[in-house]
Amino acid sequence: MEAVWQAPQQAAARERSFLREWVLTVDHKKIGIMYGVTGLFFFLVGGLFALLVRTQLLNPAGTLFSSQQFNEFFTMHATVMIFAVIIPVLTGAFGNYLVPLQIGARDMAFPRMNALSYWLYLASGIILLLSMVFGMPDAGWTAYPPYSLQSPGPGIDFWVTAVHLAGLSSILGSINFIVTIFKMRAPGMTFHRMPLFTWSMLVTAFMQLFGTPALAGAVTTLLLDRHFGTVFYNSSAGGDPMLYQHLFWFYSHPAVYIMILPAFGIISEVLPVFSRKPIFGYHAIAYSSVGIGFLGFFVWAHHMFVAGMSLQAGIPFMITSLIIAVPTSVKIFNWLATMWRGAVEYTVPMMFASLGFIGSFIIGGFSGLIVASVPLDMHLHDTYFIVAHIHYVLFGGAVMCIMAGLHFWFPKVTGRMFNNRLGYWSFWLYFIGTQVTFFPMHFMGLAGMPRRIASYPAEFQLWNVVATIGAYILGLGTILIMINLVWSAVYGPRVSSNPWGARTLEWTVSSPPPEHNFDDIPVVTENPYQPYGEPEPQPGFAPV
Amino acid sequence: MHWWLPVELTQMAHKVDTLFYVMLFVVTFFFLLVEVLLITFLIRYRRTRTNQVGAPVHGNNVLETIWTLVPTLILVFLGVYSVRYVYALQTPVATPNVIHVIGHEWYWEFRYPNGVVTQNDLRVPAGQPVLFDITSGDVVHGFYIPAVRIQQDAVPGRLTQFWVTADAKDVGRRFEVPCDQFCGAGHPKMIAWMTVMSPADYQAWLNQQKEKSPGASSGS
Repeated sequence: MEAVWQAPQQAAARERSFLREWVLTVDHKKIGIMYGVTGLFFFLVGGLFALLVRTQLLNPAGTLFSSQQFNEFFTMHATVMIFAVIIPVLTGAFGNYLVPLQIGARDMAFPRMNALSYWLYLASGIILLLSMVFGMPDAGWTAYPPYSLQSPGPGIDFWVTAVHLAGLSSILGSINFIVTIFKMRAPGMTFHRMPLFTWSMLVTAFMQLFGTPALAGAVTTLLLDRHFGTVFYNSSAGGDPMLYQHLFWFYSHPAVYIMILPAFGIISEVLPVFSRKPIFGYHAIAYSSVGIGFLGFFVWAHHMFVAGMSLQAGIPFMITSLIIAVPTSVKIFNWLATMWRGAVEYTVPMMFASLGFIGSFIIGGFSGLIVASVPLDMHLHDTYFIVAHIHYVLFGGAVMCIMAGLHFWFPKVTGRMFNNRLGYWSFWLYFIGTQVTFFPMHFMGLAGMPRRIASYPAEFQLWNVVATIGAYILGLGTILIMINLVWSAVYGPRVSSNPWGARTLEWTVSSPPPEHNFDDIPVVTENPYQPYGEPEPQPGFAPV
Repeated sequence: MHWWLPVELTQMAHKVDTLFYVMLFVVTFFFLLVEVLLITFLIRYRRTRTNQVGAPVHGNNVLETIWTLVPTLILVFLGVYSVRYVYALQTPVATPNVIHVIGHEWYWEFRYPNGVVTQNDLRVPAGQPVLFDITSGDVVHGFYIPAVRIQQDAVPGRLTQFWVTADAKDVGRRFEVPCDQFCGAGHPKMIAWMTVMSPADYQAWLNQQKEKSPGASSGS
């Protein structure tokens, strides 16, 4: 381990070029920052596609764009948001930056492989961008055959390539996290003293490792069917389109938990700090993540209740899909109990984590119970009710947590504080925008409006207009967040090593941390969620 | 303006709606519970000059047990309660009228027992069980009748089924039958209409269609 950090220290003597500083770096913090910046860029790209989709739907006749263009827009929106934003930002940016710091390590176990994961991810994103020039995929982010086999142009091939590279990046990253967390913990950092974000990353890494190969199989066979004359999904030659759906969802349902478990981890770090209390039920929160990780592999077929499987075959999947809500509700109650008898400070990250995340995410959780029921899914499947559900989970859930985490660790990463006033404005725009955009979609779905349609019957117009207005509010909020973070990274007031009074190890080192993280590897004697003693003199941050 | 569950065309739709309202009641209760606790704690335990530090509480095993077991019991109940409907939805009916449904890019084809074939024009007799045998001629489509709360994908090389018995009170009404599984550029326009007819009118219509052009399609 010594040799790992001595080499960079010697190099630090001379001024480093951009190439050496960033392109050739194997420092987990720099790689994390690159993941984050790239992810936020793609967040703007994916958001732009969302606004195009919502703008088309202002008018029931849907005359702004052609149906084909509309299909490309919603396909790009979902693909970019899932594979180029939420997964890489949560695991790549937050995971890479925080896990070694939180466990008292000087870097990831395999720093070069870590860099390779990032560059594969960037290549995947660039290929998605290139498809905007050469022809965009139009088959939805699910790309079900046979439609995806006959889809014209190279769009699906770009999509398959991008998914492959993103998947390889995920697999390499997950191996790195597993080895790092098992082998690189500081002395005394037992599993039961590990921060909860690191716990959630460990479970997430196992899910990525076990799930992603199924996705690779699904998209590889799709490519073979498209170009090499195989018949995996050609029913007239003995293939079966449902095979693809099984393979796809065997990855993509666990992927939903890959997109929410690290987000849960962020919440478990933010809430106790701003409640000035130990986290309530440390072990329950840690092991409920393990429960979600395990059960997450046994619910995939709930995406296929109406796809041609017998309804009885759906029953076990209905039961597991209902039961997986238990570990999640355990977390929700523990988070609420963490605030109970606390001393809650309304900071920007706390607002995103409490009202923003808990207040919105539970709506997605509850609508998930409704569609988990086979008879109700018979009606609601593939309607806007599903669109409402996934956006409350992924936007009200994962994106709210990303915003909580971005504001929480921003002073650690940049050594500067963001602008509070802008932060509150962006929080309220996000919170209100989320409800205005996604809540009306429940009504559209109940009434039977199918999803993925470029035009729709006029009786659904009112709620569509409301949802589009909400999307513009979210767009405005996103622009404010970007302005705040970029401006504050350069001009924000400098902060001390621990502006929030947090207890995990990353706050014991300077902001930003030195390249080798710790001068002396800390010895850990207890978990970081201990009671706060006497009132601390300065809430918020102390300028240096 | 449509913003809630559509008309209940069948008894089954009514039962499914009952299940929906039971589940909606349960989730609304817990939704309100969590939101009220959240907002109460945020306000009641906010940081003030006198409240600078939270209580040194690490957890409580009794509470953990309660909020693990209670949701589990409720969810298992909801699951078991739903299972009854799963079986009811597919209990086969005696001597149904069988209508073959074939999804195409981008229209629905209906084949009736006497050989009549229509496009996007679905007619069902009120009060009699109708079984849909659903498949696809090209890509995956979604055969969805919101008024009966049921859909099944139309998958090439595979037969899916569901059955309906339309209520007599709805004779003469027309219901939307959209495709709800994404199938390409024509997907939003792939909508058929289902007309509920009295059994006598239905027979008359079938015979008339057969005379008009035996075995051929009639446009919508």
